[in-house]
Amino acid sequence: MAILLEGRKVSRNFGGLAALLNVNFQVRSGEIVGLIGPNGAGKTTLFRCITGVHPPTFGRILFKGEDISKLMPHHICVMGITNTHQVVKPFPEMTVLDNVRVGAFFGKGWVRGEVKDATQEALRVLEFTGLTSKANFLARNLTLPDRKRLEVARALATRPELLLLDEVVAGLNPTEVDRMIRLIQQLRESGITIFMVEHVMRAVLSVSDRLIVLNFGEKIAEGPPDEVARNPQVIEAYLGKNYASGKSHYA
Amino acid sequence: MSRSWKLWVGGPVLAFLVLIPFLELQGGYLQTLGFLTFLYITMSTAWNILGGYAGQTSFGHATFYGLGAYTTCILTLRGIPALLTIPVAGMIASLYGLLWGYPCLRLRGQYFAIATIGVGEATRLLMLNLDDLIKNNSLLKGFLQKGVLTGGATGLMLPTPPDIQAYATAFYYGVMGLMFFALFVSWRVKNGKFGLGLFAINMDMDAAETVGVNTTRYKILALMLSAFLVGISGSIYAQYVFYIDPQTVFGFPMSIAMVLMPIIGGIGTLIGPVLGAVFYIVVQDRILTANLNLGLIKLSLSSLHLLVYGGLLVLIILFEPKGLLGVHHRFNIWWNKRKRRSLAATEKA
Repeated sequence: MAILLEGRKVSRNFGGLAALLNVNFQVRSGEIVGLIGPNGAGKTTLFRCITGVHPPTFGRILFKGEDISKLMPHHICVMGITNTHQVVKPFPEMTVLDNVRVGAFFGKGWVRGEVKDATQEALRVLEFTGLTSKANFLARNLTLPDRKRLEVARALATRPELLLLDEVVAGLNPTEVDRMIRLIQQLRESGITIFMVEHVMRAVLSVSDRLIVLNFGEKIAEGPPDEVARNPQVIEAYLGKNYASGKSHYA
Repeated sequence: MSRSWKLWVGGPVLAFLVLIPFLELQGGYLQTLGFLTFLYITMSTAWNILGGYAGQTSFGHATFYGLGAYTTCILTLRGIPALLTIPVAGMIASLYGLLWGYPCLRLRGQYFAIATIGVGEATRLLMLNLDDLIKNNSLLKGFLQKGVLTGGATGLMLPTPPDIQAYATAFYYGVMGLMFFALFVSWRVKNGKFGLGLFAINMDMDAAETVGVNTTRYKILALMLSAFLVGISGSIYAQYVFYIDPQTVFGFPMSIAMVLMPIIGGIGTLIGPVLGAVFYIVVQDRILTANLNLGLIKLSLSSLHLLVYGGLLVLIILFEPKGLLGVHHRFNIWWNKRKRRSLAATEKA
């Protein structure tokens, strides 16, 4: 599989704090890669480096071989990388449909077309994400699970090749978690590569092909989920000793 | 139902507005009032593109108005036909918008608003002192004509045309056309890709950026479009009154007026700025001419309109952020509820 996204010694400082330090990673097309690590490990920072919100202080990020580490977020979106936000950011006073239409209008692959086309694309995405019945609700009136879906829908409308999901499962109840996992699997089947940060182990272990583990801004492990879950360093840093002995409430 | 209602009310109102110059009601007074109303609707609508759609509150729009007015006066006094100066005025205002918009629009929310206040005042002071500044500069001295470019505090005067009645009537229709043009632009923006991007910026700038909206470019374009329309308004105002000075066209009250009108009417909507502008002009007109006679004390209420707007602004922000349109909406809800209740009552009986 071709390498879609590659990070070379990505570092990001906030003042004197090194939030990321020489992180190397690769995401191949068609994969679902999970990014895990304890709180403050730098997961969201890494996502922000990729999307250009907080460009890396040192190091390079290549998307399909092209250096994107100095581009503006909207440019990176148009190239085919979109993210969802950990703290959902819908456009509150706009309808669900309009929220998604923004993505359809401004994302990748929008060649001068009619307003109709963008609306159609938005409706298609709403159908796919199961929000059709709420198309005319104002986004601020949605429940949290629906807002998370809306985040995914809006990102999806930009037709990304690579979708960065930042904790889309967190805060959902078990039924909703299952729905979201199904949605993520459907996304992969439709040909989108997924890079996801997730704390809910059930979700991330069940869908990921590969896991990358961060701790204090450095990569400490990488590999298939079961292998990473057995890695003593990871257990030490993140999952805790209970997990290894099978007593965890996560599993 | 609502369509025919609009036609029945809108048609006669439009016909009346078109006929005003022929009716010569109150010795042309109504015509002047109409001219001002159309002009203010244009500016209110223009401000709303940036302030309402994109959510960037600008207290510096008088700079565009003044620059438009001054461009027209300066060029006309140098022999360029007045009509040709109108688009030039719009373009210069637009470029000025680009000049200060680029740095200022990096600021967010109230910080942008504060910066625009500074820009507005700085521009007014610059215009006030420009002649003195360039008088001794060998390079820029060439711009002076009989020692005058902006005329300092005394301002500039244009020659009056011979047939002032016909002139005023022509401008009445001209500015009416401009108003419809501004409303058309606003409508197109609101329903197109551009407007959607601006609304997204208004709601959440970071989210807009991550779904592909070039927020910097969109904000600047909105400012430039807005500035263009306000610049043209300033140009037309100068040609209509023949006299401008920095205090009237660059003054802070002018900027405030442009902020107030859309907020009163309903910010971020198409019709709100129109309602707000009409309300603003009517209140100003009624109060400016009103006198309070208490026997011994005679009070002129000419400054009271500012108090009215101030009070209104407080009420709007506290109780009805959507302005007059919001009030209208509430009234509709109340009215429908009442109708339903009375219907239920009659059914019971």
